[in-house]
Amino acid sequence: MPKLDFDVITLGHGSGGTLTHKLLEAGVFDLLKNPLLDTHHDGAILDLTGKTAFTTDSYVISPPFFPGGTIGELAVNGTVNDLAMCGAIPRYLSLSFILEEGLTMSEFWAVLVSIKTAADQAGVQIVTGDTKVVERGKGDRIFINTAGIGMLHPKADISVGRVQPGDKLIVSGNIATHGMAIMSVREGLEFETSLQSDTAPLNHTVRTLLDEFGPAIHLLRDPTRGGVATVLNEIARDRNVGPTRIGIDIQQASLPVLEEVAGACELLGLDPLYVANEGVFLAIVAADVAERFVGRLQTLPYGESAAVIGRVTTEHPGQVVLTSRIGGRRVVSMLVGEQLPRIC
Amino acid sequence: MTFHLHITGLVQGVGFRPFVWQLARVMELTGTVSNGPDGVHVYLNADADTARQFKLRILAEAPELARIQSIKINPTTPRLYPDFSIIHSQSGGQASLLLTPDLALCDTCRTELTESVNRRFNYAFTTCTHCGPRYSISHALPYDRPATTMADFALCATCKAEYQDPANRRYYAQTNSCPDCAVTMSLYDQAGQCVSADQTTIIEQAVAQIKTGHTVAVKGIGGYLLLCDAANPDAIAQLRRRKHRPTKPLAVMYPSAEAIRQDCSCQNDELNWLRGQASPIVLLDKLAKPASELAWEALAPALGQLGVLLPYAPLLALLARQFGRPLVATSGNISGSPIAYTDEQAIGQLPAVADYILTHNRAIMVPQDDSVVRLSRVYRQPIMIRRSRGFAPTFLREPGSGTANVLALGASLKSTFAWQLRGNTYVSQYLGDLESYDTQTNFRATLHHFLRLFDARPDWLVADQHDGYFSTQLARELATGWGIPLTRVQHHEAHLAAVLAENDVLTSPDPVLGIIWDGTGYGTDGQIWGGEFMSYQDGVVDRVTHFDYFPALLGDKMPREPRLSALSLAYEMPGADTLLRQKFTHAEWTLYHKLLTAHRLSTSSVGRLFDAVAALVGLVDRVSYEGEAALLLEEQAGRYVRQYGFQAARSYLPVSWTGPTIPTRAIIGGVMTDVLAGKPTAAIAARFHATLVATVSAVARREGVHQLAFSGGVFQNALLVDWIRHDLDAAYQLYFHRQLSPNDECISFGQLIRSTRQSDQ
Ligand SMILES: [Fe+3]
Ligand SMILES: [Mg+2]
Ligand SMILES: [Zn+2]
Ligand SMILES: [Zn+2]
Repeated sequence: MPKLDFDVITLGHGSGGTLTHKLLEAGVFDLLKNPLLDTHHDGAILDLTGKTAFTTDSYVISPPFFPGGTIGELAVNGTVNDLAMCGAIPRYLSLSFILEEGLTMSEFWAVLVSIKTAADQAGVQIVTGDTKVVERGKGDRIFINTAGIGMLHPKADISVGRVQPGDKLIVSGNIATHGMAIMSVREGLEFETSLQSDTAPLNHTVRTLLDEFGPAIHLLRDPTRGGVATVLNEIARDRNVGPTRIGIDIQQASLPVLEEVAGACELLGLDPLYVANEGVFLAIVAADVAERFVGRLQTLPYGESAAVIGRVTTEHPGQVVLTSRIGGRRVVSMLVGEQLPRIC
Repeated sequence: MTFHLHITGLVQGVGFRPFVWQLARVMELTGTVSNGPDGVHVYLNADADTARQFKLRILAEAPELARIQSIKINPTTPRLYPDFSIIHSQSGGQASLLLTPDLALCDTCRTELTESVNRRFNYAFTTCTHCGPRYSISHALPYDRPATTMADFALCATCKAEYQDPANRRYYAQTNSCPDCAVTMSLYDQAGQCVSADQTTIIEQAVAQIKTGHTVAVKGIGGYLLLCDAANPDAIAQLRRRKHRPTKPLAVMYPSAEAIRQDCSCQNDELNWLRGQASPIVLLDKLAKPASELAWEALAPALGQLGVLLPYAPLLALLARQFGRPLVATSGNISGSPIAYTDEQAIGQLPAVADYILTHNRAIMVPQDDSVVRLSRVYRQPIMIRRSRGFAPTFLREPGSGTANVLALGASLKSTFAWQLRGNTYVSQYLGDLESYDTQTNFRATLHHFLRLFDARPDWLVADQHDGYFSTQLARELATGWGIPLTRVQHHEAHLAAVLAENDVLTSPDPVLGIIWDGTGYGTDGQIWGGEFMSYQDGVVDRVTHFDYFPALLGDKMPREPRLSALSLAYEMPGADTLLRQKFTHAEWTLYHKLLTAHRLSTSSVGRLFDAVAALVGLVDRVSYEGEAALLLEEQAGRYVRQYGFQAARSYLPVSWTGPTIPTRAIIGGVMTDVLAGKPTAAIAARFHATLVATVSAVARREGVHQLAFSGGVFQNALLVDWIRHDLDAAYQLYFHRQLSPNDECISFGQLIRSTRQSDQ
């Protein structure tokens, strides 16, 4: 951490004046250093050719420091993963902070460092950015927005329209870990666990899979907020129109869930299918490559727990149906507002 | 002169036309009788006086199973008939008759089954116009053989002669058959191999398997039943394991009423239910010293009552007789799914729960579970626990009680739908818990079956206010598809409307106080209701008071774990640590306390209050079936009352208590004090029941009403019903459900009533 004559963020740091300059010079620019950022232009000039993916996401998480990561890592990995899910190879990110007055400089620095590490790990450059400070009470310590640009993988052909009956559904790793790790440190709800968030950049793994399986990969999604259940329902709903209407079958027994996560879910009466993930993706692939795909994925970073968890079917279009361990079939529906008890 | 009589009601498939034919012969009249889609039509050559006589005798002498709603008699264009004849059914036109429920094996057919000289001796599918399947085999209206799954069976010459002879008991019996034109059985093993199709020995073979401890799935009337030896604890344990049903009571089929009475107290009213046309499961008190050596503890753990039934179909009668002793008889399904009823489902699913499958080639169109009824011990009040085979979908109301065409889709856990159509009302059989995909599929299929049968669509739809219910989502989907309006009715208003309509007091000029207690219903304030007092007058419902809110925790985990209700109610009170701490891990204890201080959702549920008390007195911390905690508490309180009487148990609230709302925590405080003082569980359970009754009388007094109506799953509690009647019968007019269950099975009907009443105004 650079030596500074202030240790707390104040409103002045977002005013565009000297304090801002100090903050940026001492922290952001130096740490995130790269030729494009170094120009200090109002915007980055990029030289792109070919199909390009572009995405943005805002990160608000309570608490911003949690077991296994920080809001900074989420902000990089989240946007990187969104690009990867499009079948793109992430290249450039923008980075904007909204800081709450009173955030300590050491906290801010820790976030910056985690951003730097995550960006390096993902192999992306941060090429433009912004910082604003809001009055105490008008934010929650730190909010981050990132946007990302990536070049489409030449073999990628990913869209919900390519999902076919018979396709297999694969999950790349243990589900619900991130959400339960966050919940265990959430204010007023802390419980003891050794769980760590699974936040991770998935782009290298996805790129290898695209190199090897190309268009046999029909769809990629990262089941973040709302969990696996929500993403699968979105897919089923999107494909509940048109000539081939589809639904999704999943097997409870095949779902990879860490024992400790399962225990925490039971403790809170939560279904792991609805709990958020960060370093996990879902792939829908042609049935004939599914076994090989999973086998390969298990050898790649973040893929060791990968498993086939279900299949695409025409039996119940628009619906996601889970076969329980004891053989009953339950509809996994979209969450409607707050979780209300249903049992009479 | 020629007269036309038009008779409506439950008059098809019950031997009505032969009855009319015989009556005409006795009175020496000529004319015709026929079934139409709108009822029975009679044309008669007679003078006005004789015609009137004829009408009166129809009313007085109609077959036992018939339910006449109206008879209209009018002079018509004169025509001379040479004799009296029965004209066969014509389809076409709009069907508007009540569907006939399935009818249990009649006594005459039951006797024939045992007579070696009878040509239907041991014939597993004998029926007559007084008995046999109806609703479960119908795929079109009016009820006629080609419109049933008997259409594939050609009648032999003898059966055809019976079928055509109006003097025969099987005249026009659509289900008629005999060993010469038989419905035939096959026995399969778990691998799906046919191990026998020998009609003369197949029953013996199936029974031999049961005797060796195996479970046999038998295709009954509404679906497959699982049978095993009720005296073999290992067989029962295996069945429980396979069905993932650790403690929920299992029903037992006895070979005869005499056999029942050796094990259970069975009064005549109970026997009438058991032997009646519906032949439901009836909950009976186990005798102190039952004669049979049944595996009692395995059948109904910790309960003094047993679900008992008599063989209601000839196939079941033959199996029961061959076995000679009580059999476990439970729905053939895999956990959470609806009862299997197609052969495909049987072969696909039942090997997971049964060792053998005894099936036959008469298809089932509409699956139904066995119905369940209980009678309160003192006041002999019948309580419908599950309304299905033998009752559904017929629902009898005053003629002309509603003209709008409305479909209501009910609740979720005990799903049903109700349809008011052309002046008739139908309430579907219990269709199960809609969380299961297969139950949803079955719900849709049954609904579409109705739409096809009646070839009609509703003018509007009704659903609950809970957005998460499948029934609500389906209602939305259908309303959009059909372009018709959807109205929403609050859960407890629907309960109230149902019980009021059943008792015909919707238009009572005097106010009625509804006591609506259940587990969960979505309230208009976004909270979970379940302990409601609602006034009703001139169609206006007002929630006058309710049980004090307490935190609703952890979604559906709370009703599954009574210890959570106990914690939610008791956590701030002295003694909570002593009584509850050991029910939780350290992590649970600290976490749940945090949740309790930060909870967002509250409930007034009496169902959860029962849970809390059951956990506090140490009866149960986690339930394995819905209602388990309440049943255990009722059992305990019943033991106390049988010994000391109702008066001996005092309410936990002071006699003078009048508060704006019911002090839920004060009640729990009283329970805790007693538990800490080491009072017996039975005494505490009884005081808790007394407290509930006291809240009813206190609110009734304060509201100054004279009529009280009770609905909600809590009133499946027969002891509570007796207690209410004991304390309040003298001062109040009390209304309980009659045809429907107080649980959520009545919601669809209540929704229908509420939405039509609202539209009338
Ligand atoms: Fe209810
Ligand atoms: Mg995202
Ligand atoms: Zn009969
Ligand atoms: Zn025959």
